[in-house]
Amino acid sequence: MPITYYKLPNGLRVILSPDFTAPTVVTAVYYRIGFRVEPKDRTGFAHLFEHMMFQGSRNLGKMEFIRLVQQNGGVLNGSTRFDFTNYFELLPSNKLETALWAEADRMRGLAITDENLKNQQDVVINEVETSVHNQPYGGFPWLWMPQYANSNWYNSHNFYGELKDIEAATLDEVQAFFKTYYAPNNAALAIVGDFDPGEAQAMIAKYFSAIAPAELPPPPDLTEPRQEKEKTATRKDPLANRPALAFSYHMPPRNSPEYFAMGLLDQMLVQGDDSLLYQELVKKRGFTGEVGGAINELGNMFDYDGPMLWTAALFHDATAQPEQILSAIDEVVESLRSQPVDQSLVDRSVTKMRSSLYDTLTQFGGFGRADLMACYALFDDDPSKIDSLESEFRKVTPQLVERTAREYLRKANRTVLLIEPGAASPDADPDADPAAEMAAETAAEMEESN
Amino acid sequence: MNPTEVLADARETPPQGPPPKPFHLPATTDFTLPNGMQVTIVPYGTVPKVAARLFVGAGAIDEFAEQVWLSKLNAALMKEGTRTRSAAQVAREAAEMGGQLEVHAGSDFTSVGGVALSDFGPKFVALLADVLTAASLPAAELPRLTADLLRDLSIEKSQPESLARERFLGTLFPGHPYGRVYPSESQLQGYTIGDAQTFYRKNFAAARTHLYIAGKLEGDLGSAIEDAFGGWAKGAAAPGLPAQAAKARSFQIVDRPGAAQSNLLIGLPVAEPASPDYIKLDVMDSLLGGSFASRITSNIREAKGYTYSPFSKIGTRRHLAYWLQSADVATDVTGPALDEIFYEIDRLQRDPPSGEELQGIRNYLAGLFILRNTISPDAIIGQLHFVDSQGLDRSYLSTYTQRVMEVQPTDVQGMAETYLVPSKMTIVVVGDKAKIADQIAPYTQATEQEPQMNTDKHR
Repeated sequence: MPITYYKLPNGLRVILSPDFTAPTVVTAVYYRIGFRVEPKDRTGFAHLFEHMMFQGSRNLGKMEFIRLVQQNGGVLNGSTRFDFTNYFELLPSNKLETALWAEADRMRGLAITDENLKNQQDVVINEVETSVHNQPYGGFPWLWMPQYANSNWYNSHNFYGELKDIEAATLDEVQAFFKTYYAPNNAALAIVGDFDPGEAQAMIAKYFSAIAPAELPPPPDLTEPRQEKEKTATRKDPLANRPALAFSYHMPPRNSPEYFAMGLLDQMLVQGDDSLLYQELVKKRGFTGEVGGAINELGNMFDYDGPMLWTAALFHDATAQPEQILSAIDEVVESLRSQPVDQSLVDRSVTKMRSSLYDTLTQFGGFGRADLMACYALFDDDPSKIDSLESEFRKVTPQLVERTAREYLRKANRTVLLIEPGAASPDADPDADPAAEMAAETAAEMEESN
Repeated sequence: MNPTEVLADARETPPQGPPPKPFHLPATTDFTLPNGMQVTIVPYGTVPKVAARLFVGAGAIDEFAEQVWLSKLNAALMKEGTRTRSAAQVAREAAEMGGQLEVHAGSDFTSVGGVALSDFGPKFVALLADVLTAASLPAAELPRLTADLLRDLSIEKSQPESLARERFLGTLFPGHPYGRVYPSESQLQGYTIGDAQTFYRKNFAAARTHLYIAGKLEGDLGSAIEDAFGGWAKGAAAPGLPAQAAKARSFQIVDRPGAAQSNLLIGLPVAEPASPDYIKLDVMDSLLGGSFASRITSNIREAKGYTYSPFSKIGTRRHLAYWLQSADVATDVTGPALDEIFYEIDRLQRDPPSGEELQGIRNYLAGLFILRNTISPDAIIGQLHFVDSQGLDRSYLSTYTQRVMEVQPTDVQGMAETYLVPSKMTIVVVGDKAKIADQIAPYTQATEQEPQMNTDKHR
């Protein structure tokens, strides 16, 4: 499908991709600020800020943005992810200009009050309660695993936010965050669907070109050191009835040959009932009913830009010990590290990947396509990369799979997270920082081994 | 000139854009095989994938009281191979077609299907047919699948929203399979392979099945369907089991000591999809609680901050529907959240919405309708299956938008008045009983002493 890519003089990256299958259009604005990079004493701030983008701008008061999209027959959402925060609308195609006008309005500035902030602090605290604290296995493994597996604060802090940090945020901090990161030269605008690119370009120039760029702060160092020792963390969950187990390996650098090989290893190991770990852990050993897994549990293997984990997780019974399950996993993983896999297994993984790529790109009326194009524009300055993904996977050989498994599916590159049903021991601090806890555990282990 | 200075005194109004383009529903081809199996084919889109799903009129509704989740056990067993293919073979063949076999048992239907690469459409249909018509239901897999179901049950029963749903449906549909959400552990442990095989034999047949295929179509699907399903036994149509839904005020607390939030479910039966009131109810629901900009969400989330994701919806089963408002609210505002929800219901019963508010909702539903019929092949299948399974004419879809546009403010008020009668509602609260007792006292007392409670007394 055709892609038009250009930048406005103020730095806004624009990606246009018409598709006339349905009379609908996706308008998506991506800001290159995710939850990795938030003030260190304000965990959860990037996400709280995302909520504030719905609270009012110059021409759209509180609830008016939402009502505008809805009364024009559309739906909208915003999400905060590792390396971006996005806002999008899916509307009947005659309403493209309405969406562009509204997105430009909030890119120009926020018109919000202390009352709006207090309200959204309450909403976000309820969000965290609903999805984490009041839920068995809340945050497992997507919220907890990065905190245990990573060691750089940017990758390992609680990005949903400590409640005290969410409560402490001020309106000045919200406005300062906006000024720093929500500038056109830190954003991409992607349009997918039934529209005329020439008309869209004129509308974009009209609404976005007068928005001033900002001087962006230098990006922080996000790198993770090579992991040299396997880590294991255990969390007690008083709401859970059954134990659970997750494991993660650090990913190869994005867009490297090994990265594409890991995409296929994910398909081989955990995607679908034909996958090696499903066959071993579910069918043969009966440890669990399913094994879930992903590269980037809050998106997909394409929409991030920094250190990432490949994670898999399962629920099991108390009768199965984690050691037994891990040894069954090791058996499968080691078989991939010790010899090249059959070409037929690579072929099947490519087929599965191709099928899954179509699903990703067509997800939610073209939103998936907008997501990938905006990310490749922001991270690589090249949205046409989406057209080369399939061929990158086709280049993967059995030898590359083996080499990748040998380096990245090393036990020492792994972090295991266990959930044990039951109350935490009375002397344990329920709000303990997992990274600090991990440091303590590692220290204790080292003492033992000395 | 700095554009922000121009904007300083006057607010801009949003550009409206050109008039909407006409929307045409994707065309369908429909036929019935001699054995009674119905087929609907919908060519759609340019992405080389095809969704194929068979809906068999067999599900929880066909379970006896002591057979809860037997339909789920049967669904799990159906993935374990056929007379000619092992489970691993089925999984591998599906994967080689870029697909995955999905078998799911619901209240009224078991679905067997998946989404594969278009090149393999006819072959994928043949694989689904083998799974559906020649499942081996092997006894050897029973202990493992039972253990999986026991684990699922245990995990689900630790989730507050599942506990709320169990109590809500149990109260709404007493003595009916719709109300039996979870089995006991011993019930599950007692199922034999014979129970599952009997369930399959009794309830799976061509006359109870509708195949939907949607997406980019390649190859001769018609012949593939006839070859794969032509020899399947006809059987009889699904017997059905009409449910008598409860219409009495009931206040239920599920105690969850230490809970950070209370999970609220409030609702009651409303007119079924075939009723002329149904589309009006749909509009009423979207305005009251069923959309982001709805009244209840604006109130308890955006004004009060009591909750993150409140929603209302109209749930359906075959030939019946119920309205439901859900909200997970902070423990200390459990009472106030209930008050606000009933305040909004009462307000809508008293005053019709403004023409402008209603127009916004009508437009919203008209836009959503386009999305629901275009967003994916599975979404298209979902729309058609809803219409067919509710015994509606397909013109339900072609006239939907027009009928939504005809709904008047007094219709919306009338729907709220007629159907959302607080004295007939089931209210379920899952939360810390000791902490919320005072807050909910007005509701519990009313249930015990005076069922016809006046819900707006707090205003």
